[in-house]
Amino acid sequence: MDKLLEIKDLHTSFFTHVGEVKAVRGINIDVHQGEAVGIVGESGCGKSVTSLSVMRLVPSPGKIIKGQIYFKGEDLLQKSEKEMQKIRGNKIAMIFQDPMTSLNPVYTIGDQLIEPLRLHKNLDKKAARREAVELLREVRIPDPEKRLNQYPHEFSGGMRQRVMIAMALSCQPELIIADEPTTALDVTIQAQILELMKELREKFNSSIMLITHDLGIVADLCSRIVVMYAGIIVEEGSVRDIFYNPKHPYTWGLLKSIPKVNMTSRQRLIPIDGQPPDLLKPPAGCPFVPRCRYAMRICQEQCPGLYSVSDDHNAACWLLDSRAPSVTWDREGVSLK
Amino acid sequence: MNSSKDILVEVKDLKKYFPVRGGMVAEKRQMLKAVDGVSFQIYKGETLGLVGESGCGKTTVGRTILKLYAPTSGRVIFDGDDISDLNDRQMRPYRKRMQIIFQDPYASLNPRMTVGDIIAESIDIHRIAAGEDREAMIFDLLDKVGLNREHAGRYPHEFSGGQRQRIGIARALAVNPDFIVCDEPISALDVSIQAQVVNLLEDLQVEMGLTYLFIAHDLSMVKHISDRVGVMYLGKIVEIAESSELYSKPLHPYTQALLSAIPVPDPDAMEKRDRIILKGDVPTPINPPSGCRFRTRCPIASDICAEQEPDMKDYGGGHMAACHFIE
Repeated sequence: MDKLLEIKDLHTSFFTHVGEVKAVRGINIDVHQGEAVGIVGESGCGKSVTSLSVMRLVPSPGKIIKGQIYFKGEDLLQKSEKEMQKIRGNKIAMIFQDPMTSLNPVYTIGDQLIEPLRLHKNLDKKAARREAVELLREVRIPDPEKRLNQYPHEFSGGMRQRVMIAMALSCQPELIIADEPTTALDVTIQAQILELMKELREKFNSSIMLITHDLGIVADLCSRIVVMYAGIIVEEGSVRDIFYNPKHPYTWGLLKSIPKVNMTSRQRLIPIDGQPPDLLKPPAGCPFVPRCRYAMRICQEQCPGLYSVSDDHNAACWLLDSRAPSVTWDREGVSLK
Repeated sequence: MNSSKDILVEVKDLKKYFPVRGGMVAEKRQMLKAVDGVSFQIYKGETLGLVGESGCGKTTVGRTILKLYAPTSGRVIFDGDDISDLNDRQMRPYRKRMQIIFQDPYASLNPRMTVGDIIAESIDIHRIAAGEDREAMIFDLLDKVGLNREHAGRYPHEFSGGQRQRIGIARALAVNPDFIVCDEPISALDVSIQAQVVNLLEDLQVEMGLTYLFIAHDLSMVKHISDRVGVMYLGKIVEIAESSELYSKPLHPYTQALLSAIPVPDPDAMEKRDRIILKGDVPTPINPPSGCRFRTRCPIASDICAEQEPDMKDYGGGHMAACHFIE
């Protein structure tokens, strides 16, 4: 598989009046052709900033300080704004979290769908309109000809997210970045949208970078997972690696703190104590130290690099060093039905 | 009599309609039927979970029980007393016994008040304590929810989401209530913090003998914390049962679809599972479908569902459901 997107040593900071908040602190992520990669982590871990960095849409006072983002071999960070505009929505499309606010309320759905088609595909009005109807049909919106003339407020949340997906697909992008695409939706609607995304991915063979905090959604949609914490990658691997053979204590904590639907008794949850660190002054060592029950002296002093567990399963933890005591992950609290 | 089966809260055919504004002047005023005939009991010391999608009326049920909304019709009985028609002053003694924890820990704390004053507001209103006693109570409450005593003098913006939710819990506990409505208390929190708050709620329940109505849309968390769970759809309860029973043997097609839609953090289980994907969206509660309200999205609906509303029937052991097609 070819690398479609290659993020190399990306650093993105926000220069606020109280100081520099280091939101992303040197991450490397590859997305291959046709692959769905999930980026998981809690709020403030840098997952959304990573996706905005790829789109070159980091809002002020944020800035990409260092690194390269190769898309099909070309560094996006070297592109001019004009060149980026040709890529956004065309080669790389984004689905945002909140379908309620990411559509313009004063334009019809049709206007908003037709705009990228005219701009990127140079279609005339009629052809673009035909194409837009086709797209709405593709995302299962009933009565698309009529719907095209309606405004966003006439659509429900799930329908708006479908429109967002239709817009993202309109130019057959090679990469779709979906930032919490179903967080604002109800469970049954979420299931519809996930099913739709799976189908469309197979049909168009697009790559997906899915940003979420919900491990269930990743298990459903993605083949590879990147776990982020406090601006760095703490573990990455295949879905099976992360769920059945996790190596980082933070991943253990995440898996243990969620209840399982098929859990039989009323077992006690095992939370991760404490809170994530303040990225205004990120710690010198591993950022997870204050919440880690296996922390050693070296963890305080030095941030571990990524240790290779197997082919493409890596974790940043000193426990994986040959000199460290061996700690095994017990499956207590994680159901394996 | 078995004390564990004493009823603390009973709701009988509760309805809450909201008038809808707008439209043409001459148009007849429409009603949004947020809760449309809901009955259930909550036993002393138990947690009743209430789940459903947005707009199903679960929050309205919680708020109407607390009389934050006046019920349109139906009865709310608290510890044997009918409180449905009491006015604000008559409600006062009951307010001490029933409290609420809100969903949004950012919007539900007054940014201009110190944490101590927020927690003690109900102590002041009910004139429970003053001076040193008041301070001692604040400290005691902060200890209980796992915050430090120094936190009393600080303001809400200095705290994280999880800590704020702890402040909200301390405020609810201040008057030593019997019953707490937890309205999506963990939805706004991160995964690793959710478990902290849920464990705290469970500990406090044992320690103080609390009864909870736990409202949420996260079904796995509701199953974890609840003894019994009620499932709501468009202003009605469609199924109610003990939580393990509901999750292992869901009877109503809506419950089945809802359960099958939860993404499970387990790739193998995900692959094996048959998903029921519902068609379409939830209809508007202003003009709900005739008969069974779920019929427009139901995979097994037939003619009778449009004509006749199914009754709640007991299928053994308190497992109730409302559907024409349960054997």
